[in-house]
Amino acid sequence: MVRTFKEFLGVEWVEGTGDFIKIDEAKCIGCRNCVNVCLAGCFEIVEKKARVKSLEKCMECASCWYVCSEDAVIFTWPLGGTGYKSDWG
Amino acid sequence: MDEDFDVIVVGAGFGGPVAARICAEAGLKTLIIERSGNVGDKVISGLTIPFYGFLLGPEFIRDGNPPIERPSDGIINYIIKDIEKGDIEIDDSLRVPKPFSPIFAFGYNAYCKPFCEWEVRKAVDTGAILKKSTTVIDIIKEDNCIKGVTTDKGDRIRSKIVIDAEGSKGLLAIKAGIREKYRPETISLADIYDYAMLKEDIDKVFGYSVKMCWGWDEQRIAPPLGYGNGLMVWPYRNSLHFMQDQCLRINKNHVPNLVELFKEYHSNITQKLSWWKNLVEPRVKLRARMWDGFEIYVGLNKKLRNMPNHTDGMILIGDAAGLESTELCDGVPAAWFSAEIAAKVAIEAIEAKDTSKSFLEKYDRKIKEHPIIQWSISGRNRYNLRIAQKEHDLKKLRKYIHNGWGLGSLTHFMTPFFKSLLSYVNNDPTIITKWIKMFFRYYQNWFYESYDYSRKRKFRETTSKKLKKMEMKFTRYLRLIDSLLKSLRKKQKFLSVIVVPLSNSLNNLMKKTLPIFEPIFSFILRLLNPISNRLNVKILKFVEYANPTIFYI
Repeated sequence: MVRTFKEFLGVEWVEGTGDFIKIDEAKCIGCRNCVNVCLAGCFEIVEKKARVKSLEKCMECASCWYVCSEDAVIFTWPLGGTGYKSDWG
Repeated sequence: MDEDFDVIVVGAGFGGPVAARICAEAGLKTLIIERSGNVGDKVISGLTIPFYGFLLGPEFIRDGNPPIERPSDGIINYIIKDIEKGDIEIDDSLRVPKPFSPIFAFGYNAYCKPFCEWEVRKAVDTGAILKKSTTVIDIIKEDNCIKGVTTDKGDRIRSKIVIDAEGSKGLLAIKAGIREKYRPETISLADIYDYAMLKEDIDKVFGYSVKMCWGWDEQRIAPPLGYGNGLMVWPYRNSLHFMQDQCLRINKNHVPNLVELFKEYHSNITQKLSWWKNLVEPRVKLRARMWDGFEIYVGLNKKLRNMPNHTDGMILIGDAAGLESTELCDGVPAAWFSAEIAAKVAIEAIEAKDTSKSFLEKYDRKIKEHPIIQWSISGRNRYNLRIAQKEHDLKKLRKYIHNGWGLGSLTHFMTPFFKSLLSYVNNDPTIITKWIKMFFRYYQNWFYESYDYSRKRKFRETTSKKLKKMEMKFTRYLRLIDSLLKSLRKKQKFLSVIVVPLSNSLNNLMKKTLPIFEPIFSFILRLLNPISNRLNVKILKFVEYANPTIFYI
């Protein structure tokens, strides 16, 4: 199943990615870095800890992973053939 | 899939298929594994592939017809001093002059997807096997040596060598223990917009020039100087690519709110910058928006630059090896060069039955000896813009922009470029005419949208005797150049006494002479403008009507 979103034209997301980004709550200090750099709005802060809200618009740029100084963001690739795709890259 | 391979290439971006094609051509059983459903689905960039990538890169690209969106003849830099007052300086000194432009191009703008697909087809044509929709999740390590990879489908695929072309995140290289997660200061997040625009409008507003904007941070017109790219706009055939990008962390601790900043920059640029507001905005329609991160400042850090790009049974290439260009922010040439070197070393290693770290070290040596790769990853002009920003020093700003994206780039590019050229000409003097043919062929194919595997070409039939005569002349002159170069080869030793020291001192020579030479050069160009323009029309017409076979190798 392929999804599109009005605010991100020209990009499609194939479902079935699996939880390819996770947060290790024990390590998270709630600094908001991941929230600040994620253009897809995948993260939210709940009770001073970051949480993955939804990966449905994730473009797999890994910015969340790079900016996490505590290594609380665990980044892997989505399953083969899933996730974002575009003809206009 | 429990089959064994000689070589597994992880990733079908720009570099992977080059390595795969060369390995497959040498008779090695080669597998490319790509995580997306279609090749190029996930490759994002705004892209001018610089001319040196084509000249000095893989033979099959140089001598082929890859899909390009538009030749690029130079850069127009807008130095925004005060956006509210419209106080903007222009530095457009880096430009291929007429009558040579756009046949002799500074680079070629391209969409990533068709280009990567083209490369992969070339690899598959020589026998490489492509496995799509498959994510490599780990390496197989036995006796401290990498022996293959495991995939999300549960396959354990074994190989003698793994070539990692995974891109900048380098997850596999981290698993192999040869890389660490890069610090956020080294990574720039590129926010990219693709706009549809009529070709006639692009011809009129952009021609063949890439536009770059540089502004002081307080104006919020583009990302801060030296912390990213500022703003770049590429003209394609029927579309524009717009990219603003910024480092993920600035001043050590500060991670900016990129969600807000990118919104602000984009709205300011489209509403306040006069050429965008008046000439572009009324003629464009947003078609796509996407983003990706890339490692523009990895090469500036000595420790990172010297990190190994190999281990037992594994070689990293392109972005996976941190080979992104700091100044042009373009990783494609370095990906091609490193892919070619990696494939050759892999072939030798498999022949010698030695895929150990000590044998594969040859790859790292060659990467470190490659003049263009080292130049492209260690250029400091973009980084130096931070100093201009901090000191609000317009003189420095002009200087770094001129040295990075103006004619001043000759003061640091000439020696590595000339050194690389010499090594190619030494191997095969006829390469010079192959280069000339490449420029003509690329332009003709762009004009007709005719690439390998495409069928768009419609010949303009003509029986003009004048044209036939020009075609014969063109072929004869190229033959003459070939024979002249071959005869010079006999005097190679004598010539190298002059040419080698000259190439070593070219940068210094340019530093000393450019301040005098540049105004004279621009004066002569202006003086010759009417003649150049007429000649340009004639050359373009010749290329458009000429029989394509005269440009083939």
